[in-house]
Amino acid sequence: MTLDDIRIALPLLILAIGALVTLIHGALTKNLLTGTIIAVITAVGAGLWPLQPPPTTLAPSLGLSAGGLSRLFTAYFAAMAAAVLMLSHAYNCRRRIRGEEYPATILFTAFGMVALAAATNLLIIFLGLEAMTFGFYILAAIDREHEISNEAGLKYLLMGALSAAFLAFGIALLFSVAGSLGIGEVLERTLGVGAPDPVALAGWGCVLIGIAFKLSLVPAHLWTPDVYEAAPAPVVAFLSGGSKAAAVLLLLLLLPRAGDPALLRMPLFAMALLSMILGNLAALRQNRVRRMLAYSSIAQMGYVVVAFIAHQGHGFQAAAFYAIAYGIMSLAAFGAIGVLERNGCGPTLDEYHGRGFSQPITAGVLALALFALAGIPPTIGFTGKFLIFAAAIRAGEIALAVIGILTAAVSIYYYLRVVTALYLHRTSDVRDEEINLAETVVLVLSAALIVLLGMFPSHLLDFLQAQFPS
Amino acid sequence: MTPLPVLTALILLPLAGAVGLIPFRKAETAAKWLALGVAVLELLVACSTWSAAGAPMTAAAPKGFFLYEDFAWIESLGIRFTVGMDGISLLLTIMTALLTVIAMLASWQTVNHRTTLHYMLLLVMESSILGVFLALDLFLFYLFWEAMLIPMFFLIGIWGHGRNIYSAIKFFVFTLAGSLLMLLAIIGIYLIHGRETGTYTFGLSALLGTSLDPTVGLWLYAAFLLSFAVKFPLVPFHTWLPDAHTDAPTAGSIDLAGLLLKTGAYGLIRFGYPLFPAAARTLTPLLLIMAVTGILYTSWIAFAQKDMKRLVAYSSVGHMGFVALGIAAWTPVALSGSILQMVSHGITTSALFAMVGMLQSRTETREISAYGGLWGKVPVISCFFMIFAMASAGLPGLNNFVGEFLILTGSYQVAQTATILAFLGLILSLIYTVRLLQDVLFQEERQVVAISDSTAIENLMLTILALGVLYIGLHPGPLLDMLALPVQILTGGAP
Repeated sequence: MTLDDIRIALPLLILAIGALVTLIHGALTKNLLTGTIIAVITAVGAGLWPLQPPPTTLAPSLGLSAGGLSRLFTAYFAAMAAAVLMLSHAYNCRRRIRGEEYPATILFTAFGMVALAAATNLLIIFLGLEAMTFGFYILAAIDREHEISNEAGLKYLLMGALSAAFLAFGIALLFSVAGSLGIGEVLERTLGVGAPDPVALAGWGCVLIGIAFKLSLVPAHLWTPDVYEAAPAPVVAFLSGGSKAAAVLLLLLLLPRAGDPALLRMPLFAMALLSMILGNLAALRQNRVRRMLAYSSIAQMGYVVVAFIAHQGHGFQAAAFYAIAYGIMSLAAFGAIGVLERNGCGPTLDEYHGRGFSQPITAGVLALALFALAGIPPTIGFTGKFLIFAAAIRAGEIALAVIGILTAAVSIYYYLRVVTALYLHRTSDVRDEEINLAETVVLVLSAALIVLLGMFPSHLLDFLQAQFPS
Repeated sequence: MTPLPVLTALILLPLAGAVGLIPFRKAETAAKWLALGVAVLELLVACSTWSAAGAPMTAAAPKGFFLYEDFAWIESLGIRFTVGMDGISLLLTIMTALLTVIAMLASWQTVNHRTTLHYMLLLVMESSILGVFLALDLFLFYLFWEAMLIPMFFLIGIWGHGRNIYSAIKFFVFTLAGSLLMLLAIIGIYLIHGRETGTYTFGLSALLGTSLDPTVGLWLYAAFLLSFAVKFPLVPFHTWLPDAHTDAPTAGSIDLAGLLLKTGAYGLIRFGYPLFPAAARTLTPLLLIMAVTGILYTSWIAFAQKDMKRLVAYSSVGHMGFVALGIAAWTPVALSGSILQMVSHGITTSALFAMVGMLQSRTETREISAYGGLWGKVPVISCFFMIFAMASAGLPGLNNFVGEFLILTGSYQVAQTATILAFLGLILSLIYTVRLLQDVLFQEERQVVAISDSTAIENLMLTILALGVLYIGLHPGPLLDMLALPVQILTGGAP
């Protein structure tokens, strides 16, 4: 192991050491705040490191890389972890979630995501993905005092274990055909020229099922509404913004290097179509805001899959852009929901009535995030959808684009219902907003990013374009 | 020295004003004055662009555009911040700036809660509407096109009455769903042009020359037409409008009728016809049918209305039918008439909505049957009401007559049946307007209602609008001169 290897692996090391320090600190003192602060500093440090250009881009002995995409997503995941931690402290105090294991688990989860982002072989990918999912098993059920939280955690655990089994089995099958775990070799030998090996096909099928679970695509979406409803709001923000982006990133690591992923088109097409239609239609019927957003997330991931299908029309960069866009939007949305809940807001839509005026900052950010999720300009959600539909039309997938835009039209209705509840319904219940500095910073920053990246996406787009030469 | 980017300033000034109002959340009186100041300043800047009309055009500008600004924006996708002003945009810009001032005056005494937010939204609205009227890049145009729904949604929803929430959602979903397919069509023409020429751009002047396969062109144009028809609104896509108007506050109605509806017609003139000339010609009969059906159907429905505001709303849809007729004819005379009619309609309909709002705030009702005998009780209000109602009915010497006359004259050469039917619609509108005047102003008082005459601010607002009515009605020459060149370029003939 050389110095360069260490420099490439440093974000991982920072996160792992930071998590250990947080745990030890928790064992020595019972001060939760300092533990959270240590964790935030760790995450920010891990996020800042990859911003500088690395000496080399590959560390073959570790199976890690520091390519552009890896560094972008490493910074993104670490920043997401830091933001989630900043949102968590006050929320957890209110819900009486104590203990140093919470910030430490967030860091371990981020560790898994970052490992996935930097992976160059299937083994590291699997380890990263499982480290991440393992963290979420704990986080989803961390609110032990609530029955519903345990149930959701169990559901997530069972489905997650199943998907992990599929992933592991798929990777094993691919390994048996390709005789290697390196991503490049596997793709070359399983999806290369000539008739595909049936064993390799089975392997790819298993891997896809595993990823579909992480992305909560129909028909592997059943866990989503329950977990979104029961887990602590910052955890949902992390799940939505982090774990989904990680699954998208996994596809981005695999698919662009496949010679011709036409074989995968059929299953992807079906999942995109079903996710967009069922996700949006189911969201229409929800009266609980978090469940509504869970179904919305299913639909949103359907749009990302559209981008993958349209890879010949610059779909990969559209998918990467949308993954980040969706992460920022859900951070803003669930961050705001967390603050609202901390101010005594219940789960149903009725409870949101009139909060637009009693809690201007939080509700404003939530409304902006919802408009962005609905794809209204000038927001990052609009720019992202624009890129996806442009890719779909460029690749000749007109039918998918039309269905996508029609389901987007349907989705506007349920997003508007929340905005309506916030601003249009009047309520006699007037109270002052209680929001601390850390929450304000995260919410305002993510709102600013939603608008600024929506209006001026050039830098990010140019960067992504360079990562996926056509 | 590079000239000041006045068009960009026109778009950004109201937006900056809206942001500047945020600290005045609690100081509502100061916020009102500040907002009005920004709107008046905007109006002055808008009027000052008139003087640029005769100036020589810069080389980069497309023909007919005397002001043109072009900045790099999202280079990798061929998106630029391109805005330009020709005679058509100039008239609509001044109208927008004027009506924003009017909307603020109309809200001055009637909006008493969340006042600062109300004025902020009016400014954001102005900004996005101006963006629509000035954008020469399809992406930019679409951005403003959708963004303008957000302030309108809140205006209807927060300050509206009756079923305001239902109407606000209906308005938003209807108009947005209509325009989403246009987004796909915009991407479509961008890609087709890019494949043909190798340069991918959303710039209107570059896209104008795109040669399209007839079938593809038809589909793309249909998507544009659907989006514009919903905004217009043309029958049968009009159902959102009466609801939105009925439940909107006065300023919302003024913005809706005066500004928002114009974007549909403007889009058809600026983008629909020029981008897809062949497809537009093919679908002209459809547009004619929708226009004439709209004129006759809404006039007929207007007869049955008991609510004054609904009646004005339906009459407004009818008048927009005339605008559509003029566009469908696409002759220089008819098109000039359509654009002039857009401005006239903006002034007259806004004035009528303002008057209905004034009456409602005094008597708490809009039922026509509750009124009667106002002429003797509130002479100033009645006098203004009479002027605007007669203008709306197309009395010669007042503003609507000029536009309608030009539209009918210009259309008769190309679509005789449609023109004759539209003329019948004109007669119907005269009848229901006279009936409205008879019921509200002259008939015996039916219910005893306490009512006071107009205040100074209302007089100011109504006088400005009345002057506009008379100016366009008696001396439309300068406006038509302004339209001559762009219309000639659009239709390819001599006006």
